[in-house]
Amino acid sequence: MSEENKYWHILEEFEPMKDVRLPKGREEVVSPTSRRNFLKVLGLGTASAALIASCKRPVEKAIPYFIKPEEITPGKAAYYASSYFNQNEFCNVLVKVRDNRPIKLEPNPKSVITPNGTSGRVQASVLDVYNVNRYQHPQKNGETIDWETADGEIVSQLRQLADSGQPVVLLTPTIISPSTKKLIGEFSAAFNAEWYQYDAIPMDGFRDANKRVFGTTALPEYHFEKADCIVSVGSDFLGTWLSPVEFSGQYAKRRDLFNGDGNLNRHYQIEAGMSLTGSNADERIRAERADYGKILAYIYNQLASQRGIATIEVPTPPQEIIQKLEKVLADLNASEGKSLVVCGDNNPDYQVLVNGINQMLGNIGNAIQFERTYNHFQGSEKSLEILLNSDPGALIVWDVNPVYNHPESGKIKAAIEKAPLSVAISALPDETTELCRYVLPSPGYLECWDDAEYKNGIVSVLQPTLHKLFDARQAQESLLAWLGNETSWRDYIKSNWASTYFPQQSEQTDPDLFWVETLKKGELVVEATPVSITFNQFEIENSVQNINAEKPAEDFTIELFENINIGTGHGPLNPWLHEVPDPVTRIAWDNYASVSPAVAREMGLINGDIVQLGSLTIPAFVQPGQADKTISIAVGYGRVKGIPEELITGVNAWPLAKVENGFRQFTTSGFSITKTGGHEEMALVQGHQSMEGRPIVRESTLDKWKEDPAAGNELHEEIKHHHTTLYEKHEYKGHKWGMAIDLNKCIGCSACVLACNTENNIPVVGKKETARHHEMHWIRIDRYYNGDEENPEVVRQPVMCQHCDNAPCENVCPVAATNHSSEGLNQMAYNRCIGTRYCNNNCPYKVRRFNWMDYTGADAIPNNRYDPANMTLDLSRMRHNPDVTVRAKGVIEKCSFCVQRIQEKKLTAKNEGRQLEDGELQPACQQACPANAIVFGDLNDPNSKVSKMMQDPRNYHLLEELHTLPSVGYLTKIRNKS
Amino acid sequence: MMHVSPVREPLINGEKSYNDITSDVMAPIKAKPGKLWYGGLTVSVIVMLIGFAMIGYTVWFGIGTWGVNRTIGWGWSITNFVWWVGIGHAGTFISAILLLFRQKWRTSINRAAEAMTIFAVMCAGLFPLIHMGRLPLGFFILPYPNTRELWVNFNSPLLWDVFAITTYLLVSLLFWYFGLIPDLGTIRDRMKTLWKKKIYNFLSFGWQGSARHWQRHESMSLILAGLAAPLVLSVHTIVSFDFATSVIPGWHTTIFPPYFVSGAVFSGFAMVLTLMIVTRKALNLQEYITVGHVESMNKVIIATGSIVGIAYITELFMAWYSGVEYERYAFMNRALGPYAWAYWIMMTCNVISPQLLWIKKLRRNLAFTFVLSIFINIGMWFERFVIVVTSLHRDYLPSSWSMYKPTIIEVAIYLGTFGLFFTLFFIFIRVFPVIAIAEVKSVARSSARKFLGKPTKNQKPENQ
Amino acid sequence: MEAIVYGHFTDELELLDAVKALKNKGIRIADVRTPFPVHGLDAALKFPRSHLPKIAFAAGIIGGSLGLLFQVWVFTEGWPLNIGGKPYLSLPSFVPVTFELTILFAAFAMGFAFLLRSNLGPGKIPNILDEEVTNDHFQIILSAKNNNLSEAELAEALEATGALEVKHINAEK
Repeated sequence: MSEENKYWHILEEFEPMKDVRLPKGREEVVSPTSRRNFLKVLGLGTASAALIASCKRPVEKAIPYFIKPEEITPGKAAYYASSYFNQNEFCNVLVKVRDNRPIKLEPNPKSVITPNGTSGRVQASVLDVYNVNRYQHPQKNGETIDWETADGEIVSQLRQLADSGQPVVLLTPTIISPSTKKLIGEFSAAFNAEWYQYDAIPMDGFRDANKRVFGTTALPEYHFEKADCIVSVGSDFLGTWLSPVEFSGQYAKRRDLFNGDGNLNRHYQIEAGMSLTGSNADERIRAERADYGKILAYIYNQLASQRGIATIEVPTPPQEIIQKLEKVLADLNASEGKSLVVCGDNNPDYQVLVNGINQMLGNIGNAIQFERTYNHFQGSEKSLEILLNSDPGALIVWDVNPVYNHPESGKIKAAIEKAPLSVAISALPDETTELCRYVLPSPGYLECWDDAEYKNGIVSVLQPTLHKLFDARQAQESLLAWLGNETSWRDYIKSNWASTYFPQQSEQTDPDLFWVETLKKGELVVEATPVSITFNQFEIENSVQNINAEKPAEDFTIELFENINIGTGHGPLNPWLHEVPDPVTRIAWDNYASVSPAVAREMGLINGDIVQLGSLTIPAFVQPGQADKTISIAVGYGRVKGIPEELITGVNAWPLAKVENGFRQFTTSGFSITKTGGHEEMALVQGHQSMEGRPIVRESTLDKWKEDPAAGNELHEEIKHHHTTLYEKHEYKGHKWGMAIDLNKCIGCSACVLACNTENNIPVVGKKETARHHEMHWIRIDRYYNGDEENPEVVRQPVMCQHCDNAPCENVCPVAATNHSSEGLNQMAYNRCIGTRYCNNNCPYKVRRFNWMDYTGADAIPNNRYDPANMTLDLSRMRHNPDVTVRAKGVIEKCSFCVQRIQEKKLTAKNEGRQLEDGELQPACQQACPANAIVFGDLNDPNSKVSKMMQDPRNYHLLEELHTLPSVGYLTKIRNKS
Repeated sequence: MMHVSPVREPLINGEKSYNDITSDVMAPIKAKPGKLWYGGLTVSVIVMLIGFAMIGYTVWFGIGTWGVNRTIGWGWSITNFVWWVGIGHAGTFISAILLLFRQKWRTSINRAAEAMTIFAVMCAGLFPLIHMGRLPLGFFILPYPNTRELWVNFNSPLLWDVFAITTYLLVSLLFWYFGLIPDLGTIRDRMKTLWKKKIYNFLSFGWQGSARHWQRHESMSLILAGLAAPLVLSVHTIVSFDFATSVIPGWHTTIFPPYFVSGAVFSGFAMVLTLMIVTRKALNLQEYITVGHVESMNKVIIATGSIVGIAYITELFMAWYSGVEYERYAFMNRALGPYAWAYWIMMTCNVISPQLLWIKKLRRNLAFTFVLSIFINIGMWFERFVIVVTSLHRDYLPSSWSMYKPTIIEVAIYLGTFGLFFTLFFIFIRVFPVIAIAEVKSVARSSARKFLGKPTKNQKPENQ
Repeated sequence: MEAIVYGHFTDELELLDAVKALKNKGIRIADVRTPFPVHGLDAALKFPRSHLPKIAFAAGIIGGSLGLLFQVWVFTEGWPLNIGGKPYLSLPSFVPVTFELTILFAAFAMGFAFLLRSNLGPGKIPNILDEEVTNDHFQIILSAKNNNLSEAELAEALEATGALEVKHINAEK
């Protein structure tokens, strides 16, 4: 296979001794590997990946150990503490490494910020390391060069520019690494370079508002768990806003009726397009995007007048919204000091009002605190403007892609082309790098040394978990090289820590040991000095004036939003993320223009009809709950550069953003919809919206629950009485595995789906196949609407194999390939399966998945592989979890309750001569869930959490009337609405 | 006491002596095949080969080349399977059950009908095989001894199918061939060229018509009929278990066994009619396969058709009466859902159209019967489509609902089985007697006009 | 080849009469050959009832019980599996296979029995005296050996019954 050859070709060319500077004595402690046996190990890594992927692979590739490196035990996983940071997402993670290959990311339970769960993007990021499209050598004008030449040329030119006084500009994403900041400082000093940070979706408006109102640009930290009443005006804080993973955890804490005291928060969402957060709200108020300002002003005025504070006249929002706001205002007043108002808009005036409201409600210092403020979202449009006007002599673009995702990319393009020296430091080719003269490949974060101070005083480390696959070099290493600094980047960080943080802590007395311990923990918490804030009432009036001055939106308003999986589209195109359907629309692989049902009916639009919006031609999607005059479009799609043909998907919506008095805005009005007559089949995995009145997701309200905890779940008892059988039941001695899912806590973020993909080697089938309903996910999150299409209520339900005791699928398999284990698992013998699909037909939950084609390359028949996403190349195969079989064509597969994990933990317990502890054993989905909605455990143990939840009056089983006796239980959804 | 009531019309027209019967039936075997035959054969062979090519394609690239998906696991493949098996039933029904009931009119058609059975079951048997994701490992389905001591799952209706269909095919073959033996003897003795004589002698197992052989042959045929009768009922019963034993609304129905069996006989007779009406003309056997035969078959069609109709209505009633919302929805969805068109095609073809046969004129009208028989074949195919697809495409969880549309591959495979069927049939009518010579002779006395009302001295009472 | 005499008839009723007549004379009939089964012929020839049904019955019993026992063994001794929460020994599930095997065994046992008993089978060479027998002639064959009568007498007896053409086949020739 050609890819293979290419890949091995790379290996031969690789010079291991270069640019890897490891100190003595490191290996003993936490080394993921050691330079000495790099080739052996990587050889084995690849070969084993290959071997696992399919037994047909030629074996001669395996390079056996001559001397087994002390820190590697084949078949045993090692875990290394590290951190993931990408724009709005930060997670402390443990990297699971098998045979020197990072294969899975797991939350670091010791973490302060994200102790439980990760986001889906974190889960999928492990694949990015094994991306074949990565740059593999430094390049000059597209020609491969070596690092010496590159460094030599770049440095000399930098010197010239520095002497000639022409500005050298370093354009980076938001940098939260203290050591890197220090280094950049030195660099700027040496080459009098200017450093600008750039965010695809900036929060400079927010920071500006804080400056105006509180006298600080700091982004405060939010405590959603402290708020009894949350009012969000178009802020998707569970999906994409500011720090969603963290917020999900906080939010879910207050949706917990099983552990909690029943003191749920009440969540109002005022928004135009249906967002993930909005779909979780207790009450969603549908409002035009253009009215956000008016609404905020109205809320402000009402609260102000009630408090005898001066109000400012503004045009009021539509009447029906005012009526709905009555309740909101009442609740806000009722929970003064214990409420939280947030707004997702980057418009500073809106944020000013939000600040004013929170100030009035006394939320500052409670749900909003200025102690451990956020360090991300440093990017600012103003500085970018300065950059563009300063026509720089040298432009060093590091891991940002403004040419793709800035509305005025033209200017940036020009600037890059104009600059005599343009350097791109990036792992992957993209729209920006290809304009630059020099391209310096940088490794993925799992190959890097780094540190991160996401929140003030909480410092984490990143450490490499495998050797750099390609001839790549961290940006920081380049800077060091250009500064002529001989110390390795790792040592640089270490010494920085020794000087900065070592003094700030008392546990450790020896700086080296301190460093080692931090690497083990992955995180260090030091004192943080609270930002002192003032309050400036006057600014609020200004803002209201501005909002007054807003010219009324005519025709349709387009709002751009960030898709929870794809984000801003920065970084590698990750097939896993693309294949996971959007939690609201349940469409994969595409973006689209969401229009309201009313508009659709009026224009005769159906899902997939191509429409023309200004310069954009994009398929339309009919979204219940969408505001009539607002059209929502996800950004982050339509990347073309550096992406394999078959993966180019969606439409680039960035150009619709605009820069307005110094801030980037993501709403524009004055659009009209025109049908082009074209139609596109979108990969919509759930066509039907309604539950058809079936008791699938059972819900009730808090008041009813307080009277009767079984409210909404009356059926459960009733059906139980009908459960009789002729046969005597099989008894499960020892363990009996079960899972309970709290529908009240599940927010539908899909982290579980991606965790499952990673853990269980789920193939990617691509857009065409997904559209044909050939998707392979073992766990899916069903979404149903109820109520009117104008503004429906949304319920969600994660569904995986229910592991029924009376499994209908088992009876019908002619070859007994699926049957029941002695621990209550419904198990699949892939080797035995002949693929009649009878089990799938007879599964009431439709959770079984069939390998329609040779998606994995594990099939015995040659030349029939179907792999649109390049997931079966040797390199991509390195991500495989060696504990899970890769399934062949024509075989049925499904959720196994992560049986490989069960076996592993059981074995560990056995070796240690003890019983398994409850909660010790977590399937991938539970582990990844940031909301702790999933609980797994032993039903035979009456004290296990899962058995207790199964006893909860809220517990029910999906389609229990069929007497399939599932091992999965669901706790009813309880809305906190009056 | 003895003989035919004068009102009963003769089973064979024309003044047929035993010799005439022999030569008439053997004519197509002796004569040179005509253009029509060659043409027909070539077309069928080509279609068959295309079908096989598509099967190869499916095995190579996977079931993903079909329109089935995560929700509808079975599409045309199983629809066609059930349909073909159903077609097969007529043959056995005619030769076994009608034999037990001493229906003499069967004798002119049972040979061809049985042949049709065998060919149809062959086509049917293909589908469960090729719908497997891993055909090369299909042998797993047989309980063969292996080092892992793995056996099959005797709880699975699909496994019961394996046994039922195999048994059905083998026993039908046996029944058919042993019935052929005497006639093969007859052909052998009429053959002039030596090698043909040799071949037919080999095939006729050295038959010489001894009274003892006839005695055994008769009692064997009777017992075989006695075995085949419950067998034919069991086969479609078991096929219906594929659905009846499942949990899917629209499948999970106790009425299925009788409903499937009558449906099978219904469609089978329709197919026999389609074939016979053409064959009798092509091989000019009009005097042996008379309008009377057509009419009697039409009567069977009314009967079974009505049973099927009642079954449909009972299903609807039970769905409502069960009070299960899923059941109710499933049947509402059949009649009014996205596949309603299929349901109503089924209803018109299977329930309404056969009722026209109450009119004697139409019952005896060949052209009409021919058209009707094709209608019924279509209708019965759609019955299976409705059961398989519309039940699956909207089952319990609306989140998984989906639609199904066959790909060109599936269509080609289905047509391919027609190719196979007709290839075999074309060969059959040239090498074997399409009418059971001996059996016709044995009923000739009581039914051929030549003998009617011409009793011989102290005549032996006949068997009825 | 032994010496035999045979005569032909063109109507099965006449054949039956002839057979009766011969029987009354106490003449043993070696064989009667007809183009189709003539009803009442076996009675006239006083054939005992065939044993095939018994064979079929026995074979059926064997096939059925073998099938059932095998299934029971597989699910209780061979490899008991918990399938869909059913008990290991779920007899109702075993009915279809048992039934099919019963039929299969019975049918084929009988088929083979028929061939063996009648000494028929692929490639067997029949002893055809006259090819019309498989068309429209009914043939009575008398053998001199098992009748202590001369060929002439047999021929006479045959002709007396109205046989159309009476032929001799002499051992000498």
